[in-house]
Amino acid sequence: MAIVVIGLSHHSSPVTVRERFSFPEASIPAALQKLRESGIASEAVILSTCNRVEIYAATDFPDRDSFAALEKFLLEHHNYREPIQGEIYTLTQPKSLEHLFKVACGLDSMVLGETEILGQLKKAYELALQHKHTGSRLNKAFQKAFNVAKHVRTETNIQRGSISVGSVAVELAEKIFTSLSDRQVMVIGAGETSEKTARALLSRGAHSIIVSNRSHERAVALAAELGGRAVHFDEWGGEFEKIDIVISSTSAPHYVLDRVRLDPLMHRRKNRPLLLIDIAVPRDIEPEVNFLDNVYLYNIDDLQAIADDYLKQRREEISRCEEIIRQKARDILSAGPARTASAERKPAFGHE
Amino acid sequence: MPSLTDRSYFVLAVVLYGTSMVYSVFLWRRGFRKDNRINYCLLLGGCFFHTVAMLKRGFSFERCPVNNLYEAITFVLWTIVASYLLIGLWSRLRFLGAFASPILFAVGVFALFPELDPPSRDRPEFATSWASIHASLILLSYGAFGLGSIAGLMYLSQEHDLKFHKLRAVFSLMPPIERLEKAINGLLFTGFILLTVGLAVSPFLLKQKYGVLFKYDPKLVWSLFIWAVYLGLLVMRWRFAQGGRRFAWGAIGTFAFVLLTFWGVNLFSPAHN
Repeated sequence: MAIVVIGLSHHSSPVTVRERFSFPEASIPAALQKLRESGIASEAVILSTCNRVEIYAATDFPDRDSFAALEKFLLEHHNYREPIQGEIYTLTQPKSLEHLFKVACGLDSMVLGETEILGQLKKAYELALQHKHTGSRLNKAFQKAFNVAKHVRTETNIQRGSISVGSVAVELAEKIFTSLSDRQVMVIGAGETSEKTARALLSRGAHSIIVSNRSHERAVALAAELGGRAVHFDEWGGEFEKIDIVISSTSAPHYVLDRVRLDPLMHRRKNRPLLLIDIAVPRDIEPEVNFLDNVYLYNIDDLQAIADDYLKQRREEISRCEEIIRQKARDILSAGPARTASAERKPAFGHE
Repeated sequence: MPSLTDRSYFVLAVVLYGTSMVYSVFLWRRGFRKDNRINYCLLLGGCFFHTVAMLKRGFSFERCPVNNLYEAITFVLWTIVASYLLIGLWSRLRFLGAFASPILFAVGVFALFPELDPPSRDRPEFATSWASIHASLILLSYGAFGLGSIAGLMYLSQEHDLKFHKLRAVFSLMPPIERLEKAINGLLFTGFILLTVGLAVSPFLLKQKYGVLFKYDPKLVWSLFIWAVYLGLLVMRWRFAQGGRRFAWGAIGTFAFVLLTFWGVNLFSPAHN
């Protein structure tokens, strides 16, 4: 009995196709039931996320027959009648196992090395397990996948560092300030990236947020969302004494903050460190302010460069991860017969 | 190795400090991304030989071994390496050894100059417990100032990387610069208190030896100058918010001055020879 995979992902198909094949969580047990009753698969797990829809199945059929039947099931279940031109991929052993391990490790994700997929995979497996649609083959494969993900996470740098602008800003703040818990953040200009960055800082414990925007109503709305307070755009300078981190993203065509204005403010702040995140284009903060003592200025390119370097570092780890995955897949295939089903049916979560 | 002399044990310690320094260059180039057990073990080995060297010398005198420049230096270095080994128990702070080992090696090599360790007399001239307390407190204070300067070096390195957007600023395991600044402040304050108490014992020693409470001596004047400089640094930070880079430079510069002048002043001091 072989484990096979059939599915679509962001690699093979656009969102317009993927969304047609998506399984709502509530419908998955019934779909699995239907799939098993059809006789195509003796065990099955359906993984349905925004970036992929995949069926992992243990089947006695020859590969060609099982793939044809699984594809037919997918198309019919979603009532998809348009022609298929390579959007659906199929994998058999050992590639199917390697693929499962890659998915668990985030190697097949849109954001390389992300960890959210592991939780989604565990959830998909638990759903199938609860409804008794898995057996010794898939239980063993999924347990192994979770172990491989843990192994890869600890032994390689594939999940190290931040690869989004917001989380890089948080990392920088943590390299400057002992703790973010008593830090005040000011958002100047209520853009989407600044909001995300502010949220990231808040999630790491930043004390409070002050929002200032040309449209005061927008500032009030964002401040309410972030649990902070709004100040009028002309008055943000008055708040500067208490501020530790500034996120600026106005659409002003000129500098909102320059060295001449910041220098006296730094004296009033008693030279406490100040992190300035300028994500506006054109820039809001004069680059010269970085020459002031205790001022650390990062613009969008600086943040992106750090995020890109982290991504590069992750990419450099891919071959190491793949080698581990190939070895683990070989191990599972060369291992003896599977354990008893009762022993296998323990939920995976306790082992992670 | 029972036949080795205490100086031989100290040579072994310095060799290990030197090995640690060479290894630290690689750690630096890799941006302190991983904690470094190898470096910790090298310094642990160095500290072991260093301790044996001090114990052998101390047992031979039956008192704290701080009778000449060699012994004074080894005492200060021992304070630094022992403090590092304690701090390095936390894996996130283990990379501190990369900053400590160059100082341990360079000053250790200097301590091995034969002129700094003349053959000991049968009975050290300063054999009172007050002398031991005085010397120990002052040398411990220099150890604290040494650690403060190491924290200053780390601050400047990290601050430079953050200012110039170097990737290793976020990759490295270095603590936040605010914490480093607090560490410099704490170490300088500790050193200052130890130095103050150590110097406060001086009049009693002068009374014992010369029958006066104050006597002009280059070392005493130099020590008071060092005391005033550290007081100035602390006051500038507390009262005038002169922290950050200037404070770190102050900690490094003042300790460098101590290292460069300590030996010379000692040689010109009748009260300490």
